[in-house]
Amino acid sequence: MANNEVDIVKVIESKFGSKVQVQPGLLGTAAINTNGLHREVLKAMVEADAKTGITAITGLDLGANLGVIFHVHTEKGFFGLRAEVPKEKPRLQTITDIIPGALFHELEVSDLFGIMFDGNELKGHFLLSENWPEGIFPLRKDVNPAEVKLGPSPPEEKIPEDKKIVKFIIGPQHPALLEPEKFSVTVEGEVVTKVEPRIGYVHRGIEKSAETRTYVQDVYLVERVCGICNACHAHGFVGAVEKILKTDVPPRAKYLRVIALELNRLHSHLLTLGHAGLEIGYETLFQYFWRDREPIMDLIELTSGNRVYASLMTIGGVRRDLKDTDIPKIKTTLSDLKKKLPFYRKVYTDEPSIRARMQNEGVLAKEDAIKLCVVGPVARGSGYDIDVRKDDPYEAYGEIPFKEIVYKTGDTWARMNVRMDELEESINIIEYALDNMPKGPFRVDVPRYVPIGEAIHRVEAPRGELFYYVKGNGSASPERVKIRTPTYANIPAFLKTAIGENIADVPPNFVSLDPCFSCTDR
Amino acid sequence: MAVDFWLIARILIFPGFTFILLLTLFCDWIERKLEARIQNRVGPMVAGPAGLFQPLADFIKLLTKEEIEPRNAKKIVFKFAPLAAFAMMVFAMCFLPIDGGSVISTSGFPGDLVVILTFSTIASFMLFLSGWASSNPYGTISSARVLTQFLGYDIPLFILALTPAFIAGSLSIFAIASYQVTKVVPFIIMAPWAFILFLITIQAELEKDPFDVPDAESELVGGIETEYTGAKLAFLHLTRDVQIVFGAALIVELFLGGPYGPVIGGLPAFWYSLWFVLKLLAVVIVTEYVTTLFARLRIDQVLSANWKIILPLAVLSLMLTVAMITWVYPVL
Repeated sequence: MANNEVDIVKVIESKFGSKVQVQPGLLGTAAINTNGLHREVLKAMVEADAKTGITAITGLDLGANLGVIFHVHTEKGFFGLRAEVPKEKPRLQTITDIIPGALFHELEVSDLFGIMFDGNELKGHFLLSENWPEGIFPLRKDVNPAEVKLGPSPPEEKIPEDKKIVKFIIGPQHPALLEPEKFSVTVEGEVVTKVEPRIGYVHRGIEKSAETRTYVQDVYLVERVCGICNACHAHGFVGAVEKILKTDVPPRAKYLRVIALELNRLHSHLLTLGHAGLEIGYETLFQYFWRDREPIMDLIELTSGNRVYASLMTIGGVRRDLKDTDIPKIKTTLSDLKKKLPFYRKVYTDEPSIRARMQNEGVLAKEDAIKLCVVGPVARGSGYDIDVRKDDPYEAYGEIPFKEIVYKTGDTWARMNVRMDELEESINIIEYALDNMPKGPFRVDVPRYVPIGEAIHRVEAPRGELFYYVKGNGSASPERVKIRTPTYANIPAFLKTAIGENIADVPPNFVSLDPCFSCTDR
Repeated sequence: MAVDFWLIARILIFPGFTFILLLTLFCDWIERKLEARIQNRVGPMVAGPAGLFQPLADFIKLLTKEEIEPRNAKKIVFKFAPLAAFAMMVFAMCFLPIDGGSVISTSGFPGDLVVILTFSTIASFMLFLSGWASSNPYGTISSARVLTQFLGYDIPLFILALTPAFIAGSLSIFAIASYQVTKVVPFIIMAPWAFILFLITIQAELEKDPFDVPDAESELVGGIETEYTGAKLAFLHLTRDVQIVFGAALIVELFLGGPYGPVIGGLPAFWYSLWFVLKLLAVVIVTEYVTTLFARLRIDQVLSANWKIILPLAVLSLMLTVAMITWVYPVL
């Protein structure tokens, strides 16, 4: 493991010498000041490690200049490549030709910061609404969103008159989508030839409003990014803040956090596995999964006091200890669920209509998965073994034994089966954590003011890797919070696999990403 | 000319329109309750004992709702297709012997089996028209699927319906049903292969899972019903339900010995109706059970299942039946 990390840093140091500055230990493995050579550094990294991909691109307002951080993951390392552009002429060379998965990330920075990428020009808006005025970039420090005057609403989209081509608009309101987002699907006969996404329907500006609230308030604000994986979001934020503060979380809190995160994963996976049944017209499966999800929700309430928004995480630990008297109850519920799993597993592997609808549909090859930088069960379904819990263990995951589930086929069926197997792993993790829970305090006091500094934190949310970047400026509020959600990274995979599919396969393929648009839009 | 009150009562009340309507609503309740219980839910609970009146309440509720017509809809077809489909289905039902004879007792004639199958096809065509006339992309695609599906599955349906007709030596439903009584054995025992194939084909004709591609809500929103509201939607729903009852009734008449069964004192008509309803419910329960057990297939899978499996098997089944009639049944 260590070999690889050193390798990349050495490669860059030997190749670029003093032209770039490497700061080890910052922003993951190392932060690299590229001094205008971000493309060259990235190319060198891709050459040194074929698994190099982009996790996120963070825009920053540095006063006179605008900063950009390319967060790059290699097989075992995690790097932040810094670049700066002057505010008057914010232009950078695109990196989409080196890593195609950077497409969405670049567009987002263009829309919110006004940094244009040569070769990947943004037309109109990407995340912001159509009537947002041109030339105002909300995440810059000089913009007060309350003062922005919205323009008139855009005219309705024209549907082409060509008789042979039908344009199918999935969303913003559609029974297949639980949340609003629009996908214009062009079909010829019943075959999909093109998918145009339009995201941003639930863009709430959480990154901007996090800058005006205190750190403690932000913990609960970022939970609202997503109702389903709320514990993961809260943990991503507190994890980053604790790295800036250099707080050591007590061991008991680490285990309690693992339990909260895994309960999150359990109920999220049960939800998706059931929802996939609904998408292929298998209502019975849906009802069964959602029935068995309820006891997990009860466990979340038992451990945190809240059924949906757990609000368990806090900076320096967790807000509530686990009572010893509750442990048997948790164990009984989990072992009840564990007994039901072989039945579900059998349904998913053997039921002929599920196999007919899911196998060999929406195949994402491993090479494409790496290129498009997909995360989570989507990547693992394609044989691309990334799991932050293994690659960069946080909290108590380094001490808990569990299997990383990888399927090779890359189809819808594989993606659902990854989740199916992870259910059992999650139960094992919780049981191990309950048995090996250390005694001691469950939180430590932390200062209200966070020093100047920046940190990243990565969490394996149910949908894949969740990325947080937090920059502190010495006050009680963060200077910048950047959130990269897993669905945001996975949508390009859907756009690729949907082409050439039958229209009937689009919903099951889509739901196999476990899309969460509240996450995507923030 | 004297008005035949008896005939009018038969047409309007029993075993005609009112009876068929109530039977349809009752079957709808059975289906919903059964599906709910299989899925670990409670199903309808509020209207009437154990939610028995829920289908009626839903129907009346829809009748009271506002009617909206899309600007681009083909107005006349849009308005009348649901009604026409409903009328066709009820008319087809009138030819089935329910209490011993068919509703219009004089209307039974040689070859009425073909007539009612044609009526049900026309009803499906009306449903196609209603979706197409609504000028909605979802409705259009859904009605194209309705068309491809019922055109495909009508062929094996007709071929398989010929099996009982061949054994009974008649194309009259009355003759087929009563033949099973005189020979004591219903055709489900004489030709079980045809019965199973017929059950699958009816499942596809009725667009129930795993063949419910025309109203796949995750792709097509409401399918052909997307633009419908109020009374027209109520009649579309009712047509679907009558179709299910009709399909079940057809199986009862052709394979389960029709309404005939042991008469234990009293009016034969009462016992015949009772047997008819009981057999019909058995079929409805079986089809609904299958529905809850499967996921929806894709349109190409549905069609290739028809052309590659069901149709050749239907032809084989017919050949087997003819062979049995020629060489095996006379010996028994």
